[in-house]
Amino acid sequence: MIESFLFYAFAGVAILSALLLVHIRNTARALFLLFVVLFAMAGLYLFALADFIAITQILIYVGGVLILLIFAFMLSNKELLADLQSTSGRFISLPNWQALVLVIAFLSLMVYSYLSWSQQMPQWIAQSEAKGKMILPTDNNIKVLGFKFMTQYVLPFEIISVFLMMTLIGAAHLSRKESNK
Amino acid sequence: MLLPLLAFVLQAALGKKSISGNIALTAIIASTIISLFGVFLPIWNETTLLQKWTWFTIGEHSLHIGILLNNLTALMQLIVCIIALPVHIYSRSYMKGDPGIHRYWMYLSLFCFAMLGLTVSLNLLQLYIFWELVGFASYLLIGFWFTKESAVQANKKAFLINRIGDIGFLVGIGLVYANCGTLDLSVLFNPAEALLPSDKNTGWLTFAGLAFFLGAMAKSAQFPLHVWLADAMEGPTSVSSLIHAATMVAAGVFLLCTVFPLFNSTVLLVITLIGTLTALSAAVFALGQYDIKKVLAFSTVSQLGFMMVGVGIGAWDAAMFHLATHAFFKCLLFLCAGAVIHELAHFKAKTQLDIDPQDMRNMGGLRQIMPKTFICMVIASLSLAGFPLTSGYLSKDSIVISAYEWASQLGGVYLLIPILLIVVSLFTAFYIGRLIFKTFFGSFKYHTVFEAGTPFHEAPKAMLIPMFFLAAGSLFPLFGTSLTDYHSAWIIHALETTTTYPALASAHIFIPVILTGGAVLAWFIGWQWYVKEKYPLSANNPLVRFAYKQGYLDEFNDRVFVKGTVGLSRHLYAFDRRVVDGMTTFFAWFVRQLAVVVYWIDKYIVDGLVNLVAGTTYYIGHLVRHVQNGQLQNYLGFALTIVVLGILYLLIK
Amino acid sequence: MITLTHFLVVSACIFCIGLYAVLAKRNAIMILVGIELMINAAILNFVAFGKYDKLNYGGQVFALFAIVLAAAAVAVGLALILNVYRHFKTINPEHIHELKD
Repeated sequence: MIESFLFYAFAGVAILSALLLVHIRNTARALFLLFVVLFAMAGLYLFALADFIAITQILIYVGGVLILLIFAFMLSNKELLADLQSTSGRFISLPNWQALVLVIAFLSLMVYSYLSWSQQMPQWIAQSEAKGKMILPTDNNIKVLGFKFMTQYVLPFEIISVFLMMTLIGAAHLSRKESNK
Repeated sequence: MLLPLLAFVLQAALGKKSISGNIALTAIIASTIISLFGVFLPIWNETTLLQKWTWFTIGEHSLHIGILLNNLTALMQLIVCIIALPVHIYSRSYMKGDPGIHRYWMYLSLFCFAMLGLTVSLNLLQLYIFWELVGFASYLLIGFWFTKESAVQANKKAFLINRIGDIGFLVGIGLVYANCGTLDLSVLFNPAEALLPSDKNTGWLTFAGLAFFLGAMAKSAQFPLHVWLADAMEGPTSVSSLIHAATMVAAGVFLLCTVFPLFNSTVLLVITLIGTLTALSAAVFALGQYDIKKVLAFSTVSQLGFMMVGVGIGAWDAAMFHLATHAFFKCLLFLCAGAVIHELAHFKAKTQLDIDPQDMRNMGGLRQIMPKTFICMVIASLSLAGFPLTSGYLSKDSIVISAYEWASQLGGVYLLIPILLIVVSLFTAFYIGRLIFKTFFGSFKYHTVFEAGTPFHEAPKAMLIPMFFLAAGSLFPLFGTSLTDYHSAWIIHALETTTTYPALASAHIFIPVILTGGAVLAWFIGWQWYVKEKYPLSANNPLVRFAYKQGYLDEFNDRVFVKGTVGLSRHLYAFDRRVVDGMTTFFAWFVRQLAVVVYWIDKYIVDGLVNLVAGTTYYIGHLVRHVQNGQLQNYLGFALTIVVLGILYLLIK
Repeated sequence: MITLTHFLVVSACIFCIGLYAVLAKRNAIMILVGIELMINAAILNFVAFGKYDKLNYGGQVFALFAIVLAAAAVAVGLALILNVYRHFKTINPEHIHELKD
């Protein structure tokens, strides 16, 4: 019971903060709201028994991505700041209603399909539920993930590390001051 | 010829900075030297020189512009230059201190350019262009003091009347081109080309001749289109002397001489009659004027009438001769009058007297004050009156004698014309004598003021030198060595025309005697009337008033033509409104209704099909166009819409 | 009891909010934030489904990959935004509709 309450609380915080985020004018405040959303999401991961993912989420997103965004936002020149803060003056500007209609349609479609499919889950889920092959709160996820990365998922792991380095170099290259021009 | 144009452009560019007139003066001196030594002396009595360049081509006809130099044009060009030169020098001192002096020099250069261009034009159309330019420059110069209401009115009047003449000229050009296919003077009047019909009594030729004469009438101020010239005296006096006495008004005569082969006997008779009428009426009008410049203006009109008679009787050599001599002495008369007016205006400015410096009633006794001007004036007057030993004597007698010979051959009423001309000559002597007596003899009206020490003196040297020069030109030696026989004058020699009537030896004796004797008599009467102040007629005498009011011609014009034109236009307007507009409106309504039907068919049936195809295409394109607007978010939204629709389809299926 | 459907609905909500941000925002940084929200919704789905896959741990492993990719995407995205701003003097995507220099 308390579990459900916490879940709804985290979900509510995440959804409400996200809603607030998309219609707030001030970009700086929106970024701090993103902080809240990400924390709430991390909490939701815990309910899916993904403790390591939750920690990583907070470490990478909150500690890395968000800091990067705020840094980029704050370190950029004044014109960019003014440009960012003066945008989206109205709550719903004219092209937004199209997006809103589209998004609500999409959401209702998804929610409808989820609800209609809730009685007929994919077969592998039913099988693992029946065989008890589920991740349990007592499992040591971190240890298992370590094994999995080094054995079964070593190739994607390496590729993703190379990819990460490429993106970092690429980002550094793109965002450098073009002084040689 | 191009030098004054250069001066005009230069001065227009310099604007207010060029006030001394040195550029214009340099240009005109150079032009004079060129036209004397470069053009006149080589061309005179030599072969005709012509230079042509293709101007433009319409279909197979190409128009040439160029320079035509023969005796006539070379002479005319020389006259223009030689008259313009002293006027330029004179203007330097006459116009000194005028706030618009830079404009003055500019216009003067423009005028000289146009006039020189006019004289050497090869092509009738080219002639017309310069003709218009001359008129335009004259318009600018008459209205030079444009702050004066009367000057503005005068230049408007001059412009409008010149327009009438220009229409005539243009019609003439059109007729000649339509019938002969060329406007080139050298081709047109070349006997070898035989472009003109041998029988000159064809209708179009008469009409064309009358049209050309109409052009000349307006430019040379012939009755009844002479009214602008008297008002044109609102311009600066130096301008009046150059344009309205010596050169521009002579352009009409020059035109008639140029196209002389075109005229048939009917046209020539009309020219003669108009010329006589002009000479007579203008002489009568001149008798009653008080404005010194207007007297001279009417005398100009009268002398132009003489020239017209000369052309009309076929003695256009005599007309050109008179033109040349008249240019000298009339220019001199104007310059002298200008000197008097100039000094009187200064006098007026110094004494603050409210007098009109051009009114002869305010003058008198100036002989003692301005002796040199007086001498010049007397020489010019004698020349104008046709007194022996002057150039006017030769040229005027040549016209009168030719007229007499012409009339005696025809006999009957034609004899009236030389008799009238003799009467006009006597009138001329009388009014010019009146001018001299009123201005220079008697006692100065403001003698007391003058005695009180206010300076009133001779004209400055810069004005006197041109006057002396012109005075020398007004005497006979410049034009011929013989005192009495005009046939020995070199201009007549060079322009020798064959006349159809025999020379009468007796006329050569008695006409000069009559003229001279009459002139002396007229002067005696004038002396009695004006100097001895035994004036027999009161100022309110109807005859005097008639002359003063220029025969009420202005009033007549105003009443008949201006009011008549206004009334006629009003009636025409009403007619136009009611009948023509009614018809037009009905037609317009009918056509509009028809158009509505056709439009409906066109719009809904013909256009409908086309529009349907186009509209469909456009609509599809319009739909699709929104997708491809380069906006990433729209692309994304569009993609998402498709996804949503796809999922919906899957769900419903 | 918290079922899979709960997670799915919540992730659908977060995803649609992110989608809205991507579609409607006139600010490139907010669009980036929207993308992050969408990625987070996807991660939530990963871990929610990963709960039933003890054998491979696929959900959690790919959730980690997704986080790394998101971080990389943010880094590159921000670099791009800065460059675009330098070039066009705006980060409003409505005004950026040219591919040419």
